[in-house]
Amino acid sequence: MNSAPPARGLPGAWDPGRPAGIGRRRLLRYGTAGAAALLAGGPLTGCASPARAGEASALKVWDLFQGGDGMLMDEMIAAVSRGPHGFDVDRTILDWGPSYYTKLAMSAAGGRASDVAVLHLSRLAGYAPGGLLDPLDLDLLAEFGVAEKDFAPAVWKRAQHRGTVYAIPLDVHPFIVFYDKDAADKAGLLDPSGHLAPMGSPEAFLDAGKKLAEVTGKSGVLFGHVTDTAQSWRQFAALYAQTGASFTLPDGGPPKIDIDAAVKVVSFMKQLFDGRTNPNNLDYNGAMAAFMDGRGGMIMAGEWELPTFRKSGIKHLGAAPFPQVFDRPAVYADSHSFVTPHQDDPDPARRREAHRYIAEIVKQSLTWASAGHIPAFLPVQARPQYARLDPQSSYAAAGEIAVLDPPNWFAGAGGNFQNRMCQPLQSALLGNTSAEKAVRQMVREADTLLRRPNPVA
Amino acid sequence: MTTTAPAGTTAPAHQPPSDTTAAPRRRLSLTGGGGLFVLPFLVFFGLFLVWPVVQGIWMSLTDASLSLRDTEFVGFANYTEAFGDPDVWSSLGNTVFFTVISCVPLVLVALAMALLVHSGLAGQWVWRLAYFAPYLLPVTVVTLIWTWLYQPDIGLGNQLLTSLGMEPVGWLSDESVAMWSVAALTVWWTVGFNFLLYLAALQSLPVTYDEAAALDGAGAWRRLWSVTLPQLRHTTVLVAMLQVLASLKVFDQIYILTKGGPNGSTRPILEYVYDVGFTGYRLGYASAVSYVFFAIVIVISVVQLRFFRQEG
Repeated sequence: MNSAPPARGLPGAWDPGRPAGIGRRRLLRYGTAGAAALLAGGPLTGCASPARAGEASALKVWDLFQGGDGMLMDEMIAAVSRGPHGFDVDRTILDWGPSYYTKLAMSAAGGRASDVAVLHLSRLAGYAPGGLLDPLDLDLLAEFGVAEKDFAPAVWKRAQHRGTVYAIPLDVHPFIVFYDKDAADKAGLLDPSGHLAPMGSPEAFLDAGKKLAEVTGKSGVLFGHVTDTAQSWRQFAALYAQTGASFTLPDGGPPKIDIDAAVKVVSFMKQLFDGRTNPNNLDYNGAMAAFMDGRGGMIMAGEWELPTFRKSGIKHLGAAPFPQVFDRPAVYADSHSFVTPHQDDPDPARRREAHRYIAEIVKQSLTWASAGHIPAFLPVQARPQYARLDPQSSYAAAGEIAVLDPPNWFAGAGGNFQNRMCQPLQSALLGNTSAEKAVRQMVREADTLLRRPNPVA
Repeated sequence: MTTTAPAGTTAPAHQPPSDTTAAPRRRLSLTGGGGLFVLPFLVFFGLFLVWPVVQGIWMSLTDASLSLRDTEFVGFANYTEAFGDPDVWSSLGNTVFFTVISCVPLVLVALAMALLVHSGLAGQWVWRLAYFAPYLLPVTVVTLIWTWLYQPDIGLGNQLLTSLGMEPVGWLSDESVAMWSVAALTVWWTVGFNFLLYLAALQSLPVTYDEAAALDGAGAWRRLWSVTLPQLRHTTVLVAMLQVLASLKVFDQIYILTKGGPNGSTRPILEYVYDVGFTGYRLGYASAVSYVFFAIVIVISVVQLRFFRQEG
């Protein structure tokens, strides 16, 4: 290599006659120094930024609440941050869905996770056994006023793995029905108190759909499921649980499912969304838009859509637990809960703060209920202010008959299982396949997942 | 011919720069000359490309998981499982199908658009902007627009069809239609880039051949087939190769638009890798599937290169 300044090269890149101030070597030297300063500065400023000097740094909290839910969480965090014992919270909001759970798993696997994170209870079986969560200290929680007796037994049970508690539920968020009270009234579907009268049978629900379609002049019951990875499953799971049959996913397979009951449910779903009185080809946003435009009398959706519907200007919005049409009441639900993701070397003082934070936030869940969620903390549910929330209090009972995903590492919100169950169900609703074939495919898909090696065992 | 043509169109690319012909063969050295300048690139290249590739191969031979479980060496078990996994084959089939139905229009439509613009249409800048503009949109915006266009109930697509007295189409819900819908979106979105490559090539073609052919009495079509298109061969090879590779990598628009549905009919292999690895935590298995795909891409690229070389 020639060390002398090259005579060739880009014109103007090297000019020996020029003062050395902007020469290549200088540039390189300054550039390197600048880069080094940036690199060194990063961690330093990183140390300096959080919290007040001399105190433990801010409590790191991860969640997946955006939009209205996000603002309510902000409000709750603001409430617990006030006063002399207020928290200093460093909140990170991540996108809902598989990406959130991937990031949560990665941060916990790396051992440097946040102090507190939000987890759907249906995902616990994929996190607790793999060591991605650290168990909660019940004595500490009791010290801050939160104990087992404050939660519905069904929900509390799902917060455990092999008898150890890993999560504290914030809410129960069921899949329910919203309806236009005026349309339902004209269709004769309300009871004397002005609430949706019980359906009681598949035929009654089919009939209700027809009547609502007549009143709106368009559609009766709306349901957005096309290209969605959870909706069809939520509906199926609710109706299937109503038949009294159980759906379990034992490791190694095969899945335990009552084929006849499942076929009965899918056949009913096909009948209900026949494409005439009730459209069968809507996607999530399409169904939401149709309901808000008054092109349907009722919509099957999550209660978390309450703020959206309220803002849409529907005059008299009603809400009710998912209608019972088979033998026993059941609604599909999940639960946002707080967990302490795994940290390799947790600081006991921070852990204590994390427990206190969870307890204090759970006590704030009346604010959370304004978005439509049912507070999991029973003392809040018992407060008169909650009873006055309408229509929230009209489906509070849904929490008691809540059915979550069958527990297994791959099941739960944003997981592969829901997506795989939705594919054949969607096909059946669209009329591309029969109920029998759809159920057979569901069983096959569940079996495939169960036979795969368990990555968290 | 090569001496008269403008640089970059028909001049052989392998001709070495004149100043290096006399110098001894250069070796990779980081101490002198421009070595330091490429060092940052080499570091990043090694750190973020070479190292992950090597680590990925190792990972594909283990049962690595996203959870804290201990990792064990499992040999070729993941590869054996991948070859027997019907989901690997169906998603691979979807990827190949998408590549075929997207690449053909992406080359032909781009060529047609470039020829139209180059033919001397008035208001050139409008056409150039209109054809290239969609390419500038981010994938999320593109899919959002098309989700509404494909809406079964209120979407423009079905509104048009029904106003013409035709049956509405399940753009994203019909298993036999969904992949075509994805391809249509992709063509609309990305054809501008190929158009630009073609337009640049067309504009640098010497006009003398065309004029000579015209003087000899060749009509417009004749000149297109016998003069213009043969001169665009190298551009077509480039566009086709880039396009095949880009289409094989399809993921984002499908993931946002259909999540691989309905019933897995649009799930590409990369989404399956994502599902298995990140949603399903099975990093070892996901690595194995991606290396199977990697091998297939390499084979396709080599075959394509050979094919075009023979043609040339």
